[in-house]
Amino acid sequence: MNDAILEFRNVTKRFAGITALNDVSFSIKRGEIHGICGENGAGKSTLVKILSGVYPWGTYEGQVIYNGRELKLGAGSIQEAVKEGIAIVYQELTLVPTIDVGMNIFLGKEPVEFGVINWDKLYSETDQLLAKYHLDVPSHEVVKHLGVGKMQMTEIAKALSEDAKVLILDEPTSALAEHEIKQLMDILRGLKKHGVTCIYISHKLEEFAQITDSVTVLRDGKEVITRPTKELNIEALVRNMVGREMKERFPVGHRKPGEVILEVENLHAENPDDPGTEVLKGVSFNLRKGEILGIAGLMGSGRTELVMTLFGEFGKITAGKVKLEGREITVKSSRDAMRQGISLVPEDRKRHGLVLIQSILRNISLANLDRFASFFRINDSAELRESMDFAKSLAIKAPNLNAPADSLSGGNQQKVVISKWLMSKPKVLIMDDPTRGIDVGTKFEIYKIMNDLSEQGIAIIMISSDLVEVLGMSDRILIMHEDQSVCTLDIKDASQEKIMALATGTEPNFESERSKK
Amino acid sequence: MSATTTTPKENVFSGVLKRLSGNLQTYALVVAMVVIWGMFDVLTSGSYLSPQNFSNLFRQMTVSALLSVGMVLVIVTGNIDLSVGRLAGFVSVFVAYLQLRTWNALFPGQPLTAAILSVIAGCAIGTLYGVVQGWIIAYQRVPSFIVTLGSMWILNGLILIQTEGKTLAANQNYFEFIGQGYLPDWLGWVFAILVVAALFVSMFLSRRRRVKYGFSLAPILTDLLKTGFFSLLVFGYIFYVNLYRGLQFPVLILIVFAVVVAYMADNTKFGRHAYAIGGNREAARLSGINIQRNIFLIFILMGFLCGVAGIVLASYVGYGTIAAGTGYELYAIAGCILGGTSTLGGVGTIFGAMVGSLIMASVTNGLQILNVPSAWQYVVNGLVLVVAVYMDVYFKKR
Repeated sequence: MNDAILEFRNVTKRFAGITALNDVSFSIKRGEIHGICGENGAGKSTLVKILSGVYPWGTYEGQVIYNGRELKLGAGSIQEAVKEGIAIVYQELTLVPTIDVGMNIFLGKEPVEFGVINWDKLYSETDQLLAKYHLDVPSHEVVKHLGVGKMQMTEIAKALSEDAKVLILDEPTSALAEHEIKQLMDILRGLKKHGVTCIYISHKLEEFAQITDSVTVLRDGKEVITRPTKELNIEALVRNMVGREMKERFPVGHRKPGEVILEVENLHAENPDDPGTEVLKGVSFNLRKGEILGIAGLMGSGRTELVMTLFGEFGKITAGKVKLEGREITVKSSRDAMRQGISLVPEDRKRHGLVLIQSILRNISLANLDRFASFFRINDSAELRESMDFAKSLAIKAPNLNAPADSLSGGNQQKVVISKWLMSKPKVLIMDDPTRGIDVGTKFEIYKIMNDLSEQGIAIIMISSDLVEVLGMSDRILIMHEDQSVCTLDIKDASQEKIMALATGTEPNFESERSKK
Repeated sequence: MSATTTTPKENVFSGVLKRLSGNLQTYALVVAMVVIWGMFDVLTSGSYLSPQNFSNLFRQMTVSALLSVGMVLVIVTGNIDLSVGRLAGFVSVFVAYLQLRTWNALFPGQPLTAAILSVIAGCAIGTLYGVVQGWIIAYQRVPSFIVTLGSMWILNGLILIQTEGKTLAANQNYFEFIGQGYLPDWLGWVFAILVVAALFVSMFLSRRRRVKYGFSLAPILTDLLKTGFFSLLVFGYIFYVNLYRGLQFPVLILIVFAVVVAYMADNTKFGRHAYAIGGNREAARLSGINIQRNIFLIFILMGFLCGVAGIVLASYVGYGTIAAGTGYELYAIAGCILGGTSTLGGVGTIFGAMVGSLIMASVTNGLQILNVPSAWQYVVNGLVLVVAVYMDVYFKKR
């Protein structure tokens, strides 16, 4: 008996030059909790966007069968999916923070009588809804006063108020504390009793064993396996997620790491906006000249917090030391960091890296105007000359340097950001997910640039969610788990399975190595 | 990698197109101004563009244009300053008071000393106000809208306190010259020759720099034609205003400050940082830019320019009154917006704001000559602003 509520039949989704989903077929049973896992870029979010109508019917090949008939969501109407009973709880929450729970749940569908909202009805229906699914949230509380866990419950309640039959949870636990995760699991089990089907997407593999009935593994846009959870274990999942060959994805480097340039000892830091909350709970590592140190860890493991703290733009250091070339340094701002010789290519190039409305030239020179400026004048010829040299050596493809940065492709934008930071002649270059959202060809070019730089003696710290990239590019790998450094692996001792196990904290075998550190 | 390479031919072409369309708005604005002038000239059967009215037109725009010089940078960084009109007004009654009371008592019979001291005091008081206001906005992080809205009331009160509700005469010798003076014809020509010489020198210097850094040069003819065209405009302007009474001293002040600030906006770290902050505050911060200091400095500059504008205002009308500077903030903001400054920040030029201010002044002046009741002048001014921006939005969408 196969009562499938959702079935993907040969679904293929292409973007210019990239195939995000390649002939994916599997089905999801009614009333089950179905896990989907895969690395970043494996196609999980593309799948979600097809179900939610972000990519409407007709923009992909193949069929999605929902309740026995083909799902045909119209263009530009995400509301249609909701009407069909497919609801999504997003990774970043989508509530209005300044109004209360009840108003959020009924936002856009308030019970109205004679043009006036019937508040009693709104709140009583809210309370009924919350009680039915055992969601422990006060209906009159303003959302911003709730913790992340309760916010998520509100989000789930909002989805259920639309009478959702399929609930998609996209990395629901990435921001939750341990006890909140447990609560969420209980809620999901409760939903199952009410016949709601859940699609559960996560990076945390151990959660699949706890909660899901079956699991689909995606890799490079293809479905690898779909199995009942009880037939799988974590090792099998990892093997299926990463089982990919690594030939010629990375250029050959001739790096010769030299002496230690940066030392970080038992670094602790707290959130400056929320004093008392530790964002780094003990990180130690060292970095050598001419080396690429990869940082591996799950989203939320403290990777970005670590590098932003080193760059002087996030955490307030409460304990520990940072030494540059043997000298202890304190970095209070990005200005300080640059003066000391530390540069950072930020994670989100559009938000943090570029002034999109300005020209390529202005973007490249922005952080380095001191090099060209006297008090009275910026030497615009020198500025243009040096920027052009970088644009040329990094092969930025643009009609000219006066083109606005937002006219470039993602890869070329990233090269502009890299040019900007190279111009400041750093000793230590931090790159936070440098190839995110960039096509394979340009990725290769960026890898080559990284090799060149480290051959020139620059020390590079590279964060990446892509394990293959970390393994392909690093000399050593620092592994982070729950805001702590677990250990530093030499590349010859590293494997994807080992990193994944250490980064998820699921592998007891490495306990000895961890305590050694 | 060859996959994303486009052919060079396309690149050159699209590059040229891009640059053209980037400047299109400025050209369109200049064209609009010429159309407005032509229209009013026909309606007034030639008296609108007579040397006398032409000369007055530029004089009339001086105060609000001085304010919009600073306002461009304020808006570019994503801020707003609602207090500029009242601050200029306060400075005007302050210097009028000094002219009438203080200097007379301290230095009787020395009008030149008095005028110089008034200028220094006016600039100082404006700058000081800018320091306080900028400090609160930049370092204490109170939104500029609120701080400057409060300032409007504060300054309104200070104006009443300073004047005690009376009108203070500010038409003394020398001081009067600031807002009402004209340079003798020959001095106007000297000025024109200096400007043209500067244009050519900077052209040749820029060419030499380009050679030094290994760039190919545009044909000398193109550069000569361009510089020659601007030189002709300068000579033409001087010729025409000399037909009336000569180069207007307040306009000269405006030109000096507009050129200096425009130069700063483009060619100094201070200016570049302002545009980056408005374009993407986060990226600017991560690029090591001191955002607070930059915004602080911009409000100080704005305060200083309010001081200058206030001095010109007092001298121009010849007295300080309780109504001085009322509504000028709106003209200054409208001038910036008309001139292409984006309310979202990051975009805007001084040149554009000057043309925008001139358009606002041209419309007001034309309506006055046509004896349109002042109530209807307001209506037309508002329509001009909204229709102009609407057209801009409309054409950008397509």
